[in-house]
Amino acid sequence: MTSPRRSGAWALAALLAWLVGYPLLITVGEALGLGSGFTLEFFQTFAQRGGEWLALWRSLWISLASVILSALVGVPLGFFFERAEFPGRRLLGALVALPVALPPLVGVIAFLFLYGESGFVSRALMALFRLEDAPWSLGGPTAILLIHTYSMYVYFYLFTRAALARLDSSLLEASASLGAGGRRTFFRVVLPQLRPALAGASLLTFMTSLASFSAPYIFGGGYRVMTTQIVASKLNGDLEMARVETVMLAAMALVALAVMRLLDPGQDLGGTVRGIPPARRNFQRPLVRWGASILGYVLALVLLLPHLTLMLVSLVPVGTWTVEALPPVLALGNYGALFADPQRLQPMLNSAWMAAVATAGALALGLLSARASLRVKGRLGRLLESLIALPWAIPGTVFAVALATTFSVRAPQFGRFLLIGTPWILPLAYLLRNLPLTGRAAFSGLRQLNPALEEAAASLGAGPWRRFRKVVLPMVRPALAAGGVLAFITALGDFVTSIVLYTLDTRPISIEILASLRLQDTGLAAAYGVLLMTFSTVAFVVWGREKGV
Amino acid sequence: MLRSLSFSGISKPGRPGRPILCSLAMAWALTLAVGCGDGRTPVTIYSPHGRDLLQLLEDTYEKNHPEIDVRWLDMGSQDVYDRIRFEAANPQADIWFGGPDTIFARGAEDGLLEPFRPSWADAVPEASQHPKDLYFGVYLACPILVYNSAAVSPDDAPSDWDDLLDPRWDDEVLIRDPLASGTMRTVFGMILAKSLAETGDEAAGYDWLRRLDAQTKEYTLNPALLFEKLTRQEGLVSIWELTDILLLEERNSPLRYRFASSGTPVIDDSIALVRGAPYPEEAKAFIEWAGSLEALVLAAESAYRLPARSDLPGEKLPAWAQKVLSELRAIDLDSDLLAENGRRWMDEWDRLVRGKGVDPEPP
Repeated sequence: MTSPRRSGAWALAALLAWLVGYPLLITVGEALGLGSGFTLEFFQTFAQRGGEWLALWRSLWISLASVILSALVGVPLGFFFERAEFPGRRLLGALVALPVALPPLVGVIAFLFLYGESGFVSRALMALFRLEDAPWSLGGPTAILLIHTYSMYVYFYLFTRAALARLDSSLLEASASLGAGGRRTFFRVVLPQLRPALAGASLLTFMTSLASFSAPYIFGGGYRVMTTQIVASKLNGDLEMARVETVMLAAMALVALAVMRLLDPGQDLGGTVRGIPPARRNFQRPLVRWGASILGYVLALVLLLPHLTLMLVSLVPVGTWTVEALPPVLALGNYGALFADPQRLQPMLNSAWMAAVATAGALALGLLSARASLRVKGRLGRLLESLIALPWAIPGTVFAVALATTFSVRAPQFGRFLLIGTPWILPLAYLLRNLPLTGRAAFSGLRQLNPALEEAAASLGAGPWRRFRKVVLPMVRPALAAGGVLAFITALGDFVTSIVLYTLDTRPISIEILASLRLQDTGLAAAYGVLLMTFSTVAFVVWGREKGV
Repeated sequence: MLRSLSFSGISKPGRPGRPILCSLAMAWALTLAVGCGDGRTPVTIYSPHGRDLLQLLEDTYEKNHPEIDVRWLDMGSQDVYDRIRFEAANPQADIWFGGPDTIFARGAEDGLLEPFRPSWADAVPEASQHPKDLYFGVYLACPILVYNSAAVSPDDAPSDWDDLLDPRWDDEVLIRDPLASGTMRTVFGMILAKSLAETGDEAAGYDWLRRLDAQTKEYTLNPALLFEKLTRQEGLVSIWELTDILLLEERNSPLRYRFASSGTPVIDDSIALVRGAPYPEEAKAFIEWAGSLEALVLAAESAYRLPARSDLPGEKLPAWAQKVLSELRAIDLDSDLLAENGRRWMDEWDRLVRGKGVDPEPP
């Protein structure tokens, strides 16, 4: 362990502590009433209220259940699209990742039009079975879990595919030549190799559902979880209580992170030297081949129904669709309005450049931190790992407000600079918010990497930069691509951080969606949503190419 | 150019080297773009009003004041308050325009506002002003009863608040989440204040709210969802604010309104100068104009805003406003009582009433 390596890690830890930990510390300080005399009064109130503990417990079990359900959907899908070869695989494989790119605000409306009480599915069933009333109403924990699974299996899907792309075929061959059957090889060889990826996806899913707000708020009915509790307190002007609730939620996320580390101690898995992925299974019998293809199309169709609904809504002129099963009028008017006015397209460009800058930054910072963490190990390594996960331990709004509070004063001696009101605060917020995505991806990629490769390169005389560029980067590329595309799409559609931090020059597309909805222009909002989805699809298709190297 | 750069950022996610170069190039381009002001003085407005009204006011004002650049950021009224609060050390906004006076009162309490008395202030009823000139009502927001006219005839529609408790509307009532809505907070406040005045405590009021909760099918997150669900007849009646319903009516929506016969708790939609505003003089001039006859008539004609000033000649206002003003029976709500108890009332409602009339929750 060389000392420049350690000092580099310390520098990174300091940077992350300043950008991520410091704003959160300021929030904790306010919860303890540090500015105006230390008090535990609000924590006591919290402890005495049964409702608060119930909400905390619900957040916990919903998040655990979301992890399990998302894994059950995402991992098999990952295997199907990575290991089987059939016509249309590449495009469909990209499309299946799109649930993560359902635009904010209008995405919910698409869900409502589709699965809500007055939605297509419900009305079709009513017509089919001649029902008087809608067969269900979307609500309660079941609905929350449904939506979490739908939007979060993508983490498992992408990470599984990235890990499979780096799987070493020689391992499988060795296993087979030693007489192990398919099942045994799967459980003893493939699954352990996937463990870093699965651990990363589990952590991301857990954190996302812990901090998830829209799903419990819109579909939970009276079912209160911690995030909705925080917002209720805040809206009611009870800022102290909201801070205490935030601190408790963040504490739970940190405990989860620690438990995760116990379950997955994270030893490196790089046991092999060669890293050629096994060939995809190319079905010989045309029947099977086309069967797989049809299955792929059906899966993509089912998973993309909300997106298709949104496209339909974007074609509906204002006020024409009420109780009919299908919209009576379809027209391109909403798109006309969108493209006629350059002012309306500016937000699209704003979102694009901010997401690109933030993703590039998050990739660089995530990769460097993950690498430093794995190299120095020990307490410092764990500190780095925690700091990378921290931005997701609390709801987006709270993180944005913490960031804004920290960087709203000019006090360089305390490490505080004036960033609010400048175009930089929003990309910075996107960057930090997406650090867990790129960081986790980098972790899982690096842990699959064999250290012997770098040692070999070093013994052949390659310097650190060259080793990094020629050996490490190419090996972790699939994982980074998965994390990068997720980060890009998340930033592109972000709403919760944006509403707190946007300025005139950085008005993003989600604010435009909100503005259209405020004027009851659902069609125009949907048109913006479709534009956003198009960008995301392009990003995924590019990712598919990238991965197919 | 921006587009091509941004795509290179995602197309090579595995090589952080190049996106970093791109971002540097973009940073540079952006700094240039931001650096080139056009010499006009910017006046920044934070507002929950929609694009329709804000764009109209911006265009009209800039035409008469070519030296001013009116800039507005639209967001929810809670977001405006949040922002102004955490920007207090370094204010970015000049004007806080729009939102119920109750949330302005919070801003005043936190010392976020600067006193400024525009010349039209005398024409605004005393109850619609802050005693220390921190904010003034510009428009009136009227909570009303909403129904879907495709399913309910005007005569059958609820005509008073109590009608919502009628068995006919069981599971047909949709309500915007009252914690997040100034309109709903005011209506609930009116119920509890009435109970306090008539019986000496709040028990009767909470009982009323519990019965409403039992009738309520769903509390919706935002107005957009509320309107969609009403239009698609997932529920048939609701309580909402007049301006939005008039706007919907103009767009062929089936939603219509009725005033409550026992009276309407009118809400003051206010304006204020932000303490430490970067351009206070220009901001004052804009506030002065926003409450002028010209601007109020403009807002009434194009964006269904009802003026708060009581000295406007009726014939200057559009027909809808004259009709509304003749029908409107405002009830006096003690705003001090509301400010004093509002938080506790809503907290208790949230913990003890919400969802208690319906759907037993699983453990």
